[in-house]
Amino acid sequence: MNKEDFPKIPRSDGLTVPPGYFEDFNKRMIASLPTRPWEEEKPRVLPRTWFQRVKPYLYMAAMFLGIWCMMKMFDLMRPHTDLSSIADNPVLANAINNDTFFYDYCASEVEESDLIDALYEEGVDPSSLSDFSDSYRN
Amino acid sequence: MKDTDNTETLVERLRNPLTCREAFADVVKEYSQSLYWQIRRMVPSHADADDLLQNTFLKAWNSIENFRGDAKLSTWLHKIAINESLTWLEQKRKQENLTVDDETQALINTIEADPDFDGDALSLELRKAIATLPEKQRLVFNMRYFEEMKYEDMSRILGTSVGALKASYHLAVKKIEQYFSCR
Repeated sequence: MNKEDFPKIPRSDGLTVPPGYFEDFNKRMIASLPTRPWEEEKPRVLPRTWFQRVKPYLYMAAMFLGIWCMMKMFDLMRPHTDLSSIADNPVLANAINNDTFFYDYCASEVEESDLIDALYEEGVDPSSLSDFSDSYRN
Repeated sequence: MKDTDNTETLVERLRNPLTCREAFADVVKEYSQSLYWQIRRMVPSHADADDLLQNTFLKAWNSIENFRGDAKLSTWLHKIAINESLTWLEQKRKQENLTVDDETQALINTIEADPDFDGDALSLELRKAIATLPEKQRLVFNMRYFEEMKYEDMSRILGTSVGALKASYHLAVKKIEQYFSCR
């Protein structure tokens, strides 16, 4: 063998692979490819509807409306005692101005000690009041 | 022209996350043989070539998003295969604490006992002659002589100038001729 032989050597180098190697390799290779981050399934996010976006504000408005209705209802249930209307009511005005009625029905409801305390607080001496002195004596 | 169109379509499919895996399966089918032979001529046995080919495709798959399509797909894959082969040879040399001469002798011994070889005596001698070349020269010789690759393509894969590749091939041929003349 000499150097003149070299150009005559065929360009296939005689290397071989086991039968069916490439088909088998391709299958093995494709099956062993790891999952890449972009392939991992992400949870589907459904688009939010108009109602879903408005819902919290709607519920909050309903809550305020409910509170307002409740307050209104309590207000309507409360008995009206408008004192300014007593002067306009002739029956009540007469009753209040009637001393007998007043002492029989109103004065008896007031504790005298409370009345005296209230007069002192107002800076009025109860003994200077002739009506009061009389009634107290009575 | 048709091949170029196919490659362009393949690259487009690789860029799309929905078709990427399927396209890569086509890449494996398309390039497994050429990459295998390139690796096989660098390493001693079929089993080593099989491992390295698998690593080459795994590396390509794991960095597929880095393939921007500036280079040809085949160039990119061949680059990975060559880097894998050279790194493997370097590691083997370090692990077994071999000198270059020891490595050449080990390679020749493996070639002589290779069960996956059915060439004639002349082909066997050529394999042994190639085994005596330094790694880079062996690579250039294999690409040019067996794969009949153009110097321009080799330059893109190896990142070496065409002139340097021609010189390297010329030197390799001279060394092989010398090997045969000594026999």
